[in-house]
Amino acid sequence: MDLNQLWQTTLSEIELQISRPNFLTWFKNSSLVEKKKDGEIIIGLANNFSKEWVKNKYHKVIFEILKNYDDTIKKIEYTVIENKVSLFNNVADGFEIKQPTIPELKIDPESGLHPRYKLDSFIVGSSNELAYAASLAVIKNIGKKYNPFFIYGGTGLGKTHMIQGVGNEIKKTYKNKIKVKYVHSEKFVNEVVTAIRNKRMEDLKNKYRNIDVLIIDDIQFIGGKERSEEEFFHTFNVLYENNKQIIISSDRAPAAIPTLHERLRSRFEGGMAADITYPDYEMRLAIIKTKLAEIKGDLPDNICEIIALKVQRNIREIEGILNKILFYKEVKNVDLDPKTAEEIINNVIQQSGRKITPNQIINSVAVYFEIPISDISGQSRRKSAMEPRQIVIFLLREMLGMSYPDIGEKLGKRDHTTIIHSYEKISKEINKNHSLNQKIILLKEIINENS
Amino acid sequence: MKLIILKKNLKDGLRSIERICAENPSLPILKNFLIETIDNKIKLAATNLELGITTFISGKIIENGSVTIPLNIFNSIINNLQVEKINLELKKDKLIIKTDNYQAEIQGIKKEEFPIIPQIGNIKQFIKIKNSLLKNALISAVNSATADNRPELSGILFDFQITILKLAATDTFRLSEKTIANNHFESNFDGNFKVIIPLKTIQEVIKEIQSNESQETKIYIDQNQVLFKTENTEIISRLINGEFPDYQQIIPKNIANEIILNAEELINAVKLSSVFSDKFNEIKIIINKDAKNVEIFSASQSVGENKYLVPAKIQKMAENQMEISFNWRFLLDGLKNIKSENIFLGLNDLSKPALIKSPQDESWIYILMPIKS
Repeated sequence: MDLNQLWQTTLSEIELQISRPNFLTWFKNSSLVEKKKDGEIIIGLANNFSKEWVKNKYHKVIFEILKNYDDTIKKIEYTVIENKVSLFNNVADGFEIKQPTIPELKIDPESGLHPRYKLDSFIVGSSNELAYAASLAVIKNIGKKYNPFFIYGGTGLGKTHMIQGVGNEIKKTYKNKIKVKYVHSEKFVNEVVTAIRNKRMEDLKNKYRNIDVLIIDDIQFIGGKERSEEEFFHTFNVLYENNKQIIISSDRAPAAIPTLHERLRSRFEGGMAADITYPDYEMRLAIIKTKLAEIKGDLPDNICEIIALKVQRNIREIEGILNKILFYKEVKNVDLDPKTAEEIINNVIQQSGRKITPNQIINSVAVYFEIPISDISGQSRRKSAMEPRQIVIFLLREMLGMSYPDIGEKLGKRDHTTIIHSYEKISKEINKNHSLNQKIILLKEIINENS
Repeated sequence: MKLIILKKNLKDGLRSIERICAENPSLPILKNFLIETIDNKIKLAATNLELGITTFISGKIIENGSVTIPLNIFNSIINNLQVEKINLELKKDKLIIKTDNYQAEIQGIKKEEFPIIPQIGNIKQFIKIKNSLLKNALISAVNSATADNRPELSGILFDFQITILKLAATDTFRLSEKTIANNHFESNFDGNFKVIIPLKTIQEVIKEIQSNESQETKIYIDQNQVLFKTENTEIISRLINGEFPDYQQIIPKNIANEIILNAEELINAVKLSSVFSDKFNEIKIIINKDAKNVEIFSASQSVGENKYLVPAKIQKMAENQMEISFNWRFLLDGLKNIKSENIFLGLNDLSKPALIKSPQDESWIYILMPIKS
């Protein structure tokens, strides 16, 4: 007989001996917590009043019944186990209330997860199906199948949505039996700093080592912060050895985080690494439709299509544009025609890319490949100069929309056919060569950041 | 049991325990209270199984004993008696109330049937704090707590950090935080702790300490209980099992618009404007850069509208004009706790919470989310 069965049988016998109200008042939510080897048994009761009452009034009865079934029981201890009331209740969601809540307070304090991110609302397409499939496998086999699970991809492509969604799904599936903790790496670093200052490193260690699923977002920020890296390394090892699931996200592959220590990098590469790339047109359209349903907005199909066509890089940007268009529609109270929608989109996109100059692109690429700028516009045909040069050409065309002759002029007076050849070469290569794709995504981000 | 008690003492004692004594269908004895003699003192106790209140009163003990009797019956008798001294006597399970020209017998139930009020596990460590200070701190937080379906928010957070004690509460629309420095309290706790104390318990404590503000209260904490101990009364309660939101991140660090207003005028303006506010309790604050006052405006389509100009010093303003709406009830809840002459109002974006505090005093802050207009 296991503990649960034993307790149920005991309860049914107690019920016969005392009045129903008494039984309900004192034995509600009680359980057998543990049986120790030395014959001591621990009974958990709902509150302190029940504990005092049962201990003083029913001890003898319980002891006799328990002994009937299991004569190895020598002693009974009582404790309070408060029912973990469901910490998260989404009843209020769905409602449209005029008084908005302070957004950060929706985050579940225990796990740090925001209930907004659900795996159900995650749109799956070719760009993220591997990561999604791996997520599902992780949820099914926590800590066993893919550990650590590493997701990487550019900003605004849904990494945070995915890993928080996995966290929420785990909580839902396992009914809070599994302890999930989501933390942004920046917060982790802050906690390490505070712990060092207050000399309370032990607390921090305990906090992170008693978790079943640890989710760390944007791990690249931890690189270069020695003490945090070390603390994370030890935490990682403890969790990993105990078969606890670790889920990490980053904006680039482990190998591409320059400041990360070798020992951490190799550990990240030890499990499953899946990337999320740019969504294709159909997926973007699906995302727009889902988002509209979420915010209860309504837009005609042709406008959705325009948005999907024009906004290619970043899903977060899609959200911004949707809000803007809906706002416009609401304020002006007119039906949008495609032309106005296009204008709004152009405004947003241009704003973000306005300040980039050709020289910035050239500089950034040169710095990234660690070659002198003169090599890019020079005549060298070494491979170390060729690839960066072709990438510069591709980026000038893609990001700034420069004409082929203009690009040729800029890069050491090259013929425009050379430029066309380079551009097309990279355009083709990018779909086949994964590491090249990564490099370009990264470069675009660096350039956007610097502008 | 045989006692002679002054009516005033008896009434004071009953006042401490009466509010939690209530009808309970599954456990009828909870509508009774316990009267018992212990160490030459008379103990009164009541519980609702969430918290227990015990209070001691003085009186002449002729014979020891104990019984539980229905509180509301006993209370109405005592309240209506016009004498100074009351004689109580127990015969079997009946309590006899006797004065010179009046006698009543109330059917009681044995003490053994009454729930045992738990004891606190850790009696060595406590926080000692002046009642007046504790009362103000609790009152400033209690409005922001909620009784809705998120248990971890249905109480007040006590965040003890040795050198400071922070009290915080939120209902997700607003948040208040009171910081008490350790020169205002004594404590022998040697480590930090964070506990959430149920709202109901806090309300009881406030009522209890209101009447004797010059005295001190000791607060004891163990794994799952808290005990508030004043000179005569002990309130023991469970703690809420949950984690309070990590709220530090929502306290605005950079504020784009800073306004100093006269407290009395602003409170008055908010109260007046509330007359015309709509069903969402919305009132609007309109701020113009370089103006000498701020306009408080409210309108209701069917009733009418009004505006009130409050003298203000606009210290910092990012835009030329700003219009921001609040729920006047929530706003007033915050303003009422400011005891200084002026009020600091810090506003950011219309979708970001506002910061309200006293301009000089950082020990209490109130964060309130604006209404979408």
